[in-house]
Parts: sequence; structure tokens; C-alpha cells
Amino acid sequence: MNLYSNLIREAKFLLRQRHLVAFFTIVFLLCVFAVGSGISETQTQLTTIERLIDKDTVDRNSVLAKQSDYGSAAYYSFHLTYAPPSPMAFAAMGQRDIYPWKHRIRMLALEGQIYETDSDNPELSFLGRFDFSFLVSVLMPLFVILLLHDLRSAERSAGRYDLLITTASKANSLWLSRASVLCLTLALVICLPLIIGALFTQASLIDAGLMVLVVIGHLLFWMGLTLWFTSTKIAAKQSSAQTASVLLAIWLSVTVLLPVGSDIAIDEMVQSPNGGEIVMTQREAVNDAWDVPVTDTWREFLATHPQWHGHTTMGPAFEWKWYYAFQQVGDQHASELSQAYRDATLAKDQLASSFSLLSPPMLTQRLLSGIAATNTAAAMKYEQDVRAFHRSLRLFYYPLLFNADKFDVDTFTQLPQFTISMTNLATKKEKM
Amino acid sequence: MRAINKIASDEWRFWHRTKLAATILVLGTLLTILSAIVNTHQIHQATHDREHLQQSSESQFLAQPDRHPHRMVHYGHYIFRTPSPLSIIEPGVDAFTGTSIFLEGHRQNSAMFADQRQSSGMTRFSSLTPSFLLQVLMPLFIILIGYASVTREKEAGTLNIMVTQGVNLWHLLIGKYLALVSCGLLMLLPLVVAAMSVTIEGESLLLTAGFVTGYVVYILIWSGIVLTVSTLSEKNNTSFATLLGLWIVLCILLPRIGSSSAAALAPSPGKLETDFAVLEQLRKLGDGHNAADPAFEQLKKNLLVKYNVEKIEDLPINFRGTVAKYSEQKLTKVLNAFAERRMDEELSQAQIARQFGWLTPATAIRSFSMMMAGTSLETHHRFLRQAEALRFDFVQSLNSVHQDTLSYQADINRHKDGEAARVGATNWQVLDSFSFSPDAPSTRLSHSAPYGLQLLIWMLAIVFLLRISVRRIVR
Repeated sequence: MNLYSNLIREAKFLLRQRHLVAFFTIVFLLCVFAVGSGISETQTQLTTIERLIDKDTVDRNSVLAKQSDYGSAAYYSFHLTYAPPSPMAFAAMGQRDIYPWKHRIRMLALEGQIYETDSDNPELSFLGRFDFSFLVSVLMPLFVILLLHDLRSAERSAGRYDLLITTASKANSLWLSRASVLCLTLALVICLPLIIGALFTQASLIDAGLMVLVVIGHLLFWMGLTLWFTSTKIAAKQSSAQTASVLLAIWLSVTVLLPVGSDIAIDEMVQSPNGGEIVMTQREAVNDAWDVPVTDTWREFLATHPQWHGHTTMGPAFEWKWYYAFQQVGDQHASELSQAYRDATLAKDQLASSFSLLSPPMLTQRLLSGIAATNTAAAMKYEQDVRAFHRSLRLFYYPLLFNADKFDVDTFTQLPQFTISMTNLATKKEKM
Repeated sequence: MRAINKIASDEWRFWHRTKLAATILVLGTLLTILSAIVNTHQIHQATHDREHLQQSSESQFLAQPDRHPHRMVHYGHYIFRTPSPLSIIEPGVDAFTGTSIFLEGHRQNSAMFADQRQSSGMTRFSSLTPSFLLQVLMPLFIILIGYASVTREKEAGTLNIMVTQGVNLWHLLIGKYLALVSCGLLMLLPLVVAAMSVTIEGESLLLTAGFVTGYVVYILIWSGIVLTVSTLSEKNNTSFATLLGLWIVLCILLPRIGSSSAAALAPSPGKLETDFAVLEQLRKLGDGHNAADPAFEQLKKNLLVKYNVEKIEDLPINFRGTVAKYSEQKLTKVLNAFAERRMDEELSQAQIARQFGWLTPATAIRSFSMMMAGTSLETHHRFLRQAEALRFDFVQSLNSVHQDTLSYQADINRHKDGEAARVGATNWQVLDSFSFSPDAPSTRLSHSAPYGLQLLIWMLAIVFLLRISVRRIVR
């Protein structure tokens, strides 16, 4: 009961301080802006995807209608692949502005297509977006420091400190309840726009709840740190500005120095092939195929596709099945490098998640983009989806090409459709 | 003047005595030195790597065996963008744009493999680049050092004593201002050294001098902000809290709000979506691989008339090569129109974000610095345009070889007799060697003028505010 009345008293005290009310209003407005611009961004992405799906279907159908053989049909028709933003993506745009989330691919060698990035404006990416996760991970600690650093010293310099200490039954509970009221209000003004945003995008309550938990966890960390430091003997001798400087130094180390340091360390620890090498290898293989004996291409192709043994005889003229075989062989040549590249990306991500345990702001950012499925792992998963779709496309056309089936437009009703998570499905189908 | 010097050196003595300010100064300077070293090393490494890749890509192209010329059009070529010299201080968008492009016939590929894509994702907020340190963190250091410069005297009551003793208030403020500015300049020193080394390596002196001047003005602005707030505040605490709030708003919030607003105000449809329109237009042009495409009927007729022959077989040139050349030209025109439109869209987005330089000096210095260093969006676009020029040039040269050197008979029988349908490898010499250079210094200087103006206006605004605050003290 005592704590409760303490809280009520502090809340009344807080409401009477105009600069605090102004402060919380500003934080609230910032949060509304962050959530609002995030929602507008994700809505734009969603409508873009819808438009693309329509255009893609129209375009492919009109192309297919003009074809007279399966080889050209596969050559000229593109297929849209995409990764829509999750309902919570508005809160943490994560790596979505760097990794591609939409492609139009065809049955040619995939390694030449998958690194194409329809990326955002690089200058805007460089400036960085002001999204909810940035607000929570980078700015919120500063807000906490601003609010709590002078809890004691302000009272001290106002001459009320001794009075307060003697009148309060327990000195610590006084500071605790005052800090709690301030942080509770902060949590409220930060989480309210988030929850409204989540309701608007119809996100799952669990995801929204998890995000709120992350926000509160991060808030508690900084509240605890600030309260602990202001209660130490060092802080008792300092002015409030000096106390805040020390807290700022801590913020600077965990928000700037630690991430930058670990980035350099991670780059040293993980060796990654140069992306350019992958595409170069693939290109050499595909282009050389025109010059090397046809039997070489068939040998490499049949090594991975033994079921087409006996279907590889060719006349003197150009044949599509050979063309697509050497496209596939090009991918095979580059596959080792490409795998190493992906492994390196994942290894770096893994290390980053270990390093982020040392830096609460980084951890917060990673957790939030994890919940929003906008992190590196989600981008890699999309890449796997694209690979799986490309595989199912090849599996669709191979029988038509190798059995020299008679061309029939109706076959295309069975064209594989890109669905968002098809990784498992396609690997089961093809035993490679 | 002597009074000003006296006050400035008093200020320094005070900082020396209170360990906090001295610590910040030493840390700040060390951090800039460290970042300059690390970044210089990284950029040199990248320059070396990309130059090497460029050379090997060129020699690979030249080393290709005798072939059908159109095969070389599809074999294509890689080009790499070497960083501009000043990117050791301001890497700008370099990490966010792809640094290599694959050039081939009939297509304009986008730049691939941006560094950020292969990074740990830890450096999205901060990076250990001198520019980040100087633009974002240095103002914080100046605040920590100087927030109390006037309020301290007020709290101790020494300000009144000085004023009654006849110390000119302007002298007092200028002295304190100079002391604060000298702190900032000390932290700027590593940048000056780096800029000098860049000048020695061949960057225009006017440009590097302008670049450094921009940062000096930025220091003048922030020292002015700190001093003004300290003069206007009654207490150390309020001065500190106000300045910290200002720093958060000016250095962290507004630049990002600028970029978010730009994306919301001028959404760009993205390459994939415009590609539909591109493809639609391209299909009307006809497929350059198929000389029998009805789209080339007029071209055929004109040629037959020109050479006064009946059949394309009798033409002195290879008609298939002519078609390839003709359709590549038409196609490039369409592609360029769309590419230019896309670049315009990106640029207008960036322009919106840069207008925030009127609201915060942090955005002003950032635009100024990127523009001067040649690491802005414009430079990336320049790279894309140069890449396209090179692409068009070598593809058309190969098409000319196709038209003039390879006989039509051999060409149409290429699947039966691949050996005859080849031209010598000496023809691959048509490829020009590529080395990217940013805009000329004069262009960069004139492009950065608006952002220099933003900085100057900020400077004037600060002087004006300082005058107001002095009047308030006097009253």
C-alpha cells in the first residue's frame, strides 16, 4: 500500500512539472512518427508486391502465348519472387533496405541473377531510417539518462535532499518509486504507438507482446544502471552533469565503440569469398560451354541429373536442352563459392549475435529485427526460397525438353508458382 | 586582444585542472586518429583490390580465344569502382552501393555486392569513420567540455564580479569561444593530416582545403551553440540538459527523419517495377538475335536499295551484324531513358533529405562533405553513366566486327560449322581500359556550394543568437 501511495504522489509531482510533460509529449510524437513512417513504408512495399504480382502474371502470359517451343518459353518468361514484409516489419526495417526482397528470375543460371539487388536509394540507406527499433535501441537509453541522472543531485542542489531523506520512510524506495513512475511513463509513450501500429497491421499479439517485452527489458537495463550509478559514492560527489557524462560514456561504449570494434573483429575472424568471384566463375563456365566439346557439358550435367541419361543425343543444330544443361553446369561450377559466401554471411551473423550480448542496444536491435523477420537470417531464407523456386522451375521444364514433348500451351497451367516458403517442399522433390 | 587571450588560456587551465574535460579531449583526439588510420588502411586495401580485379577482368577479356563476335557481347566485362581519394575521411555511400557492374549486351545490370551486404550489420548506426566521429560525436565532446563555460561563472558568482570590474562581456565570450574552438580543432587535427596526405597523392589542393574549411565551420557552429546555451542558462544542469537534448535532435534525430521523410514523400517505384515498362518497349523493337524479325524489314529494304542488290546474301556486309548493331542502339536509347529517370528519382529523394540541412548543421556538413569527397549519390550515378558508356562502346565495336569481318554465309551456318563462324582474338582489343574517377574538383566545389551556404547561414544564426544572449546578460 505504501508503494502504491508513493507512486501516486510521484505521478502527481511529475504531472505538475511542465518540462517533463513536454519531454514525454515529444517522445510520444517521435514514436508516432517512427511507427507512422514504418507503416507507410511497409504498406508501400505490400502494394508494390501486389502490383508486381499482377504485372508479372500478365507479362508472362502474353509472352508465353507467343511461343512455339518450350525452350524459348523458358528463355523469355520471367517469374516474380518476393518476400513481403511481416506485419511487425514497420517497427524494425532491419536489413530490408540492403538485402533484396524481390527478384524476377528465369531458367538461366541462377548465380547470375540472384545477386541483382533492386536496392533502395543508397544515400537514404546511408543516412539511416528513423524506425521504432532505432528509437528504442539508440535513443531510449539517452532518454533514460536525461530523465534519471539528476534524481538525487537535482534535489541536492535544490536543497530538498535532506528534507526528503528524513521524511521518507525508506530513502531507497523514494528514488525507486520516482524512477519507476518516470520509466513507466516513458514505456507507456513508447509502447502505445507500437501497439496501435500492431493493431493496424493486424500483427500477431505474441509478436507485439514480445516487442513490448524487449522494449521493457532494455528500459529496465538502463534504469537499473542509472539508478545504481547515481547511488554510488562516486556519483554522490559529482554534479548531475558529471554523472550524466559518465553515463553517456557508457552509452557511447556500448552503442558505438563495441559494435564498431566487433565489426572489425568479425571481419577478421570470418573469411568470405569476394562476391564478384562467384559471378565471374559462373560466367566463365557458361561462356566456355559454347567452345568446349558438348560431351563435357553432358558429363557434368548427368553427374547431378542421372535420370536424363540416354536423352542427350543432339543433331547439328542448336538445341535448348543443351543450352539449359550448360546453364545448370555454370551454377554447379559456382556452387562451392556461392555456398562459402552464404556460409560466411551466416557465420558473421552468428558472431554478431554473440557479440551483441555485450551491447544491450545491439541486442535490442537484433531481437526486434528478429521478431519482425527483417534480419539477415530472414533475408537468407528468402534467398533459399528463390533457389528452391528456380529448382522447381527447372524440374518443370526438364521433362518437356528432354522428352521432346510436343508444344502445348495448356502445359503452362502447371507452371510452378512462387510461394513464400517452399524450401522444404522442393528439396524433398529433387534428390540432389 | 590581450584580455581575450588571457580568458582563453584561463579556460584551458581550468580544463587541465578538472580531469573530465582533459579526458574527453584526449579520448576524442585518439579516437579520430585511430579511425583515420583504420579507415585509410581499409580504403587503400579496397583501392588495391578493385584495381587488381579491374586489370584481371580486362586481361581475361583480351585473352579470350577466336570466337563468334556476338559471343563476346554476351561474355561481357566487369568494371569496378575505385574509391575516391578523400573517402579515407568520408566514405559516404560507398558501402551501400555495389562497387562492381557486369556489362553485357542488351542489358543494363545494376551494381552488385555492396559491402554492407557482407557486413555483420553492427555498423548501421555508427561506423568508425572519421566523418562519423567528426559529424556526430565531436559535437557531443564539445558539449561535454564546454556546457559550463559561462554557467560555471554564474554559479560561482564570478561573472558578476568580472562584469562589475569592467571586463568587456564580448571579450569574455570570445575568449571562451576561442578556447572551445581550439579544442575542436585539436580533434580535427588528424583529419587535416589525412587531407594533406591526400593532397600530396594528387587531389586538388583547393578541394581538400575547402573540405577542411567545411569542418572548421562546423566546429565554429557547434562551439557557438554550446556557448550560446551556456550563456542563456542560469545553471550548469539546465545548460547540460538543454545541450544534450539539442545534440540528440540535431545530430541523431533530424538527419534520419530527413531520410524517412524523403522515402515517404517521394517514393521511388524501384528498378524491378520499371523493368516491366522497359520490357514492353523493348519487345516493340524486335529481337536483335533474329534478323528475320519483321521489325528490321525497313532496315533490310534500305540496305538492299543502298547497295543495289536483290538478296541479303549479296550484301557486302553481314546483315546479322547490322541488325545487332541497329537494335542495340535502339534498345540502349530506351534503357538510358529509363535509367536517367530512375537516377532523377533517386536524386530528388536525396535532395529532400539534404534540405534538412536548413534544420540541422549535421545534415549540412554531411552533404557538403560527401559532395566534396566525391562519395555522394551523384558520384555513384556518374559511375553508372561511365559504365553504360563503356558498355555501349564495346558492344557496338563488337557488332561492327560482326558486320564487317564475319561473312554472312559463315554466320548463318554457325551451328553446322562453328569453326568458320569465328573472328580472330585480336578483335577483342576494342575494349577500352576503365578507371573510375569522381567529378572534376571544380564541379564538386560548385555542387557543394548550396551545402556550404547552409553551413554559413547556421554560422550567422549562431552569431545572431549570441548577440541576443549577451544583451540579456547585460540587462
